[in-house]
Amino acid sequence: MATIGHNNLNAKLVLLGDMGAGKSSLVLRFVKGQFLEFQESTIGAAFFSQTLAVNDATVKFEIWDTAGQERYHSLAPMYYRGAAAAIIVYDITSADSFTRAKKWVQELQKQGNPNMVMALAGNKADLEEKRKVTAEEARAYADENGLFFMETSAKTAANVNDVFHEIAKRLPRAQPTQNPAGMVLVDRPAEGARAASCCS
Amino acid sequence: MAETESYPPIDPTNFDLIVVGTGLPESIIAAAASTAGKSVLHLDPNPHYGSHYSSLTLHDLTSFLNSQSPNPRINPHQSTTEASDHATAALDLITRPLYSDVEISSYDDSVSEHSRKFNLDLAGPRVLFCADLAVDLLLKSTANQYVEFKNIDSSYVCDGNGNLMNVPDSKSAVFKDKTLKYSEKNQLNSFFKLVQGHLEAVKSVGTGVDEGKVISEEDLERPFVMFLDKMKLPPKIKSIILYAIAMVDYDQDAGESCKDVLRTRDGIDRLALYHASVGRFPNALGALIYPIYGQGELPQAFCRRAAVKGCLYVLRMPVISVLLNKDSGNYKGVKLVSGQEITSDKLVMDPSFTITSSPSEALQDVSKVFDAGKVSGKLARGICITKSSLKPELPDTSSCLVIYPPRSLYPDQATSIRVLQLGSSLAVCPSGMFVFYISAVCDDALEGKKSLHAAMDSLFSVHTSGTTDSSLTDQIESTEVKPALLWSALYVQDLIEGFMGPVVMTPTPDGNLNYNDLLRATSKLFQQLYPDDELFPEIQNTDSSDKLEDDSEVDIES
Repeated sequence: MATIGHNNLNAKLVLLGDMGAGKSSLVLRFVKGQFLEFQESTIGAAFFSQTLAVNDATVKFEIWDTAGQERYHSLAPMYYRGAAAAIIVYDITSADSFTRAKKWVQELQKQGNPNMVMALAGNKADLEEKRKVTAEEARAYADENGLFFMETSAKTAANVNDVFHEIAKRLPRAQPTQNPAGMVLVDRPAEGARAASCCS
Repeated sequence: MAETESYPPIDPTNFDLIVVGTGLPESIIAAAASTAGKSVLHLDPNPHYGSHYSSLTLHDLTSFLNSQSPNPRINPHQSTTEASDHATAALDLITRPLYSDVEISSYDDSVSEHSRKFNLDLAGPRVLFCADLAVDLLLKSTANQYVEFKNIDSSYVCDGNGNLMNVPDSKSAVFKDKTLKYSEKNQLNSFFKLVQGHLEAVKSVGTGVDEGKVISEEDLERPFVMFLDKMKLPPKIKSIILYAIAMVDYDQDAGESCKDVLRTRDGIDRLALYHASVGRFPNALGALIYPIYGQGELPQAFCRRAAVKGCLYVLRMPVISVLLNKDSGNYKGVKLVSGQEITSDKLVMDPSFTITSSPSEALQDVSKVFDAGKVSGKLARGICITKSSLKPELPDTSSCLVIYPPRSLYPDQATSIRVLQLGSSLAVCPSGMFVFYISAVCDDALEGKKSLHAAMDSLFSVHTSGTTDSSLTDQIESTEVKPALLWSALYVQDLIEGFMGPVVMTPTPDGNLNYNDLLRATSKLFQQLYPDDELFPEIQNTDSSDKLEDDSEVDIES
């Protein structure tokens, strides 16, 4: 959920798409500016955070990766909860991955919050010679379904920052939160709070 | 995604550990084993996470309860399975019904129309105490970053005349309380002071203890209720301490016939837990917290933790048999509904599975596990939905806990009945509605249902004629307008304890308000599974990939 405070926006962003479409590569490129030719299946990253400055505000993205739970269609509802934005990633060299991307869009429309900003990213745009999905087809689909579309390359960095930046611009600014945020438990001793406690 | 045209083949086919069921104990074991570097396959026959610890939509809850209760149903995997080679024997697994006497009533269609907006806990009422083991484990495992919590706004205890008294659980609450007399406030405060002194003295053993403050060893071994009597606490205060702070189930004044007498030592421990919970987190006002979106978020958080550490997840994948080595009788692997055989060193299963027939003698070691998983008790649970709060006069109270101590609702009420009201700010129901969880430990379904109905009659009005027991409603003379009951689900759950063997069986949800006993049992199982590994060792700060919080500004100004 996008939450606001002093022109600072916190937004949970989730990535969806087939295994191997390049979800983690996009995040790594965006967050760390890195690209690994043989990125392993996602292990080890819970989520990343990255702050972007747009015209009127700073947007802090909390980026959730699937942690591989999409492999056997076993993503937990927790993954979608409160997401303000989603990037659905497919591989332009795989028609199957585009078909699967459409299914992820349907799943999001069912599970996610209706005001979610959705981006469709045709990744691996550097592999033009192996292209199986045309940009026109993908753009037409995106237009029909209220997504914005970009072709990206985590390898060359083309359009990667742009996708995140466009999402940041599109996030609703003054949206009342549907479910008031709760607290995340942080292990910090409550100094001074003891005074109000029992038995003292 | 919901569709499953066929069962996908799983790759690889050998693991250190296979876990079947995604309930909280199984999820913690999967996360801890993955964190310790084991290769783990985590399966669940259901389409959702959490097994018996899930939070489900209204429709899913109804169908889950019905599918897991005894009814004449043909088992789809009844035929005896054969292992693919002759050295292997297969024990057929069947689902054992954990729920019985399921009664679902709907008095208003608007409830089921919003089915998807509900996250109903199967194992409610359940909360976390800020200083309890669940919170410790969430922090240690770093699964805390996936879940948000809110306070339970207040607690009440029924005084035996149908009145709900505020539970004064801290010094300031005692001070502010309007129902206690001045003398009672003094008594409660001096008792809290005594306990505090005792705890401090115990903590500082060997550092010049003030012996005078320590409660004697003799007193510590005696029943807590006798100690409270010795402290000359009046019945009202005793009841608050025993049932609303120490959360005792059985009537402690029943003397010899009390099934579970709380010793002073344990009573003091429970007060200490409550005390440490108040104010542990600066932004949590009370002792009790509840996860937004329901208790089912906790197993999901541990599963995500496990996945991040490499655990492989496959929902909607029933296991049809356990494979054993014919000669040795040792556990070898499992056979999936797809026909695929997967091997592992160890197997952990949730207690809703059992085997069909007694196998040959060589295989008794494994079948013993299923014998061990005998029903150790029963628990009546109820879920009720209304459109108004128990405390409409307190607009800030959307969530509260209500305790009915033994004998407070009817003379032979043997155990405490606990009720948890939750509002839509916890994202467990549509706005404008409230969900109530009720539970009571019981000997049989009849007794359990009687407890549930007594609490429901006291709490709600039902707009149907002639169904309420008038002898119960007569006792309660309340002028307040009771919330009208819109929907309810009542069921009786079997209690099965965990068991360590060649196959590990995890425990069912228990009758407690918090997870402490369950988590103690779970960490014991993990320790027995992997004696050389710690359950979530303290994380060094060098693990930066885990949560990258560098906040480096990437400025691509437009």
